[in-house]
Amino acid sequence: MESPVIIANNLSKTFGTTRALDGVSLTINRGEAIAIMGASGSGKTTLLHCLAGIRTPDTGSVRLLHSGEQAHEAGSVVSEMSDAQRSQLRRERFGFVFQQGLLVPELTALENTSLPLMVAGVPRREAEARAGQWLVALGLGGMEDRRIGQLSGGQAQRVAVARAQVTAPEVVFADEPTGALDSQTSDEVMTILRDTTLSRYGALVVVTHDETVASRCHRVLRLRDGVIVEGARI
Amino acid sequence: MSNVSDVRPPARPPTAPNPIYAVADYEAPANPGMGQRLIRPIALAWYLARRGGGDASASRAVVLLPLIAFASATALALTVIGGVVMFLNWPPDKNSTESLYIFSALFAGTLLVIPLLNLAAAAARLSARRRDERLSTLRLLGATSSTVSAMTVIESSVVAFFGAALGIAVYLLGTPIVGLLSFGGKQIGAASLLLPPVMVILVVCGMTLLAAVSAIVSIRGVIISPLGVRTRTNAPPIKIWVFFVVGAVLIGCVIALQQMLEVDDAGIFIGIFVVTFAIGMLILNLLGPLIIGVLARRQVKRAKTPEKLMAMRLVLESPKSVWRQVGGVAVTSFVAVVVGNAVSLISLLGGLPDSNESDLIIYADMQTGVYLTIFMSFLMVACAVGVSQASAIYDRSDLYQSLSILGLPSQVIGRSRRIAVLAPLRWVMLSSVVIGGVLLFPVVIPLLGMSVVLSPLSFLTVILMLAGGIALVWGGVIATKPLLKAVSGSAD
Repeated sequence: MESPVIIANNLSKTFGTTRALDGVSLTINRGEAIAIMGASGSGKTTLLHCLAGIRTPDTGSVRLLHSGEQAHEAGSVVSEMSDAQRSQLRRERFGFVFQQGLLVPELTALENTSLPLMVAGVPRREAEARAGQWLVALGLGGMEDRRIGQLSGGQAQRVAVARAQVTAPEVVFADEPTGALDSQTSDEVMTILRDTTLSRYGALVVVTHDETVASRCHRVLRLRDGVIVEGARI
Repeated sequence: MSNVSDVRPPARPPTAPNPIYAVADYEAPANPGMGQRLIRPIALAWYLARRGGGDASASRAVVLLPLIAFASATALALTVIGGVVMFLNWPPDKNSTESLYIFSALFAGTLLVIPLLNLAAAAARLSARRRDERLSTLRLLGATSSTVSAMTVIESSVVAFFGAALGIAVYLLGTPIVGLLSFGGKQIGAASLLLPPVMVILVVCGMTLLAAVSAIVSIRGVIISPLGVRTRTNAPPIKIWVFFVVGAVLIGCVIALQQMLEVDDAGIFIGIFVVTFAIGMLILNLLGPLIIGVLARRQVKRAKTPEKLMAMRLVLESPKSVWRQVGGVAVTSFVAVVVGNAVSLISLLGGLPDSNESDLIIYADMQTGVYLTIFMSFLMVACAVGVSQASAIYDRSDLYQSLSILGLPSQVIGRSRRIAVLAPLRWVMLSSVVIGGVLLFPVVIPLLGMSVVLSPLSFLTVILMLAGGIALVWGGVIATKPLLKAVSGSAD
């Protein structure tokens, strides 16, 4: 039985005279990996931002359902939350992986990974113990004390995946997570991103240009001019 | 005979000529002569300055931040020099106190040289280092390393010149306010702080020259390649031998100072004082980054909150640059505690046994002078901190945006920035007082003891002044808060 976690309904977003999203509706289920594809400017990153509460849509709604809630239930309406509430939501229930990693350069791999836990109020020792387990699980054992500049692109991206997973988020959003990596490393990073998310029964939403990355997902949404032209399932 | 139709293929309809063929052939210019090699960077710098950058706010920041920094550095430099020059001609009715005022003014001016140079150097570094993307693009297009280096020096110098010119206006606007201060029992007035035009021009030229030299030094520290700009070296490890050298020098100074107290000759006394003071400054500059590095490393291990961890890691990243930012208050703090307490003590006790009314005015003037020096040095550090923080916010805008997306509260970033500035500032102030105390302990310890016991109010006043200074520097961090909000705020 499907368990929806995010239900987006009729999302529209305009920047100046450009319509980035035009009536987009979709449902994301727990344990599901979705790829969002499309040409540059098709609205895929805007869609990810609206789903994750980074932007608010001009019209339409994004609902976040708790575990066990069904589509007909109200859930939390992300698009109606205040900025502070959306920040809290992103901190506690979502995880993020960006193209360039965007890790804090002066912190070590271990400190970067434990940062979301420390921000949530977990004591440092406990946060670092949990973060350390994630780093070991992702093949970075022995590199805990290295700073980001001392890691390869693939290793840094693994740290970013560990940081995204350390709070056990319900949804992980990844914006071109393998865009800066070679094909072999890209494959490795996508594997760990997918496996670590789905094994926890989380949902993975990946924005990508790469068909190989998209092929690793359960469903591929294709956007053109802010409209889903393929793959929608409401 | 049948009519044979014309089987020739029909003529192609006339088409417009391919516009590419209309483009004239390109011939690369011959190897440039010396004149062209000199002019090319100027022409490129001028062309790019007119066009601006792609990102309007970032492009404005490249020019505006150093402009503001140079303007504040120049305004403060002119005010300080104006004050020193005023005291060189002090008092209007020459008498025996003349040399005391001159010595004090020169001493205060010397103390302010370091924070002032730090502020100007921060402005220059900021100006030279904020063109990374543009410089690497030019390298990608084939510009030589020397061309882009020359462009950086030219641009920094031009920005410094206009910033300094703006600083003259700020200085002129500020003199009526500074003129409200009382020395010699009356207000000094704005006119007494006005410098002759030649000196003003010299300051502007000096500021421009400093920017050029600093740009040359800064550009030597980075590699500008077509793929980007990166720093040439990382922070060097702590050199243990420095501690031994400093320890030996410190012991030598203490012995020299003990000898000094037994010397009757004023010339030798002043000579020993000046040498000890210079050595003290040297020690501070050697030890400053080391102390900051050691303390930050300890704090990283102990940090329990994310803001403290991020702040201390940031400090540890480059203790030398943190020292450059806040080190300017090192000597001032020491002087504030020693001289400030001495003067207030004498003043509050009703002067030395044979003091008359004019002596009491002199004590009050010395007190004002000390407070003014403290205020000015902290103001310079606050300006340097504000400029550096604004620059760092632009440099780290992607990171701040991503942390905001992750849901990191902006207060955490704000607190982290504050700790990264104020904690080293406190360490510097405390260390300088301790080092100064060790160097001059025969004088300092009894003085502080007397001050605390006999005149706790004077001691408290100096401590409050230093606390006010910290608040002023904090203001430098707070001033950049709107910029941080704009950079990392909501994506909407």
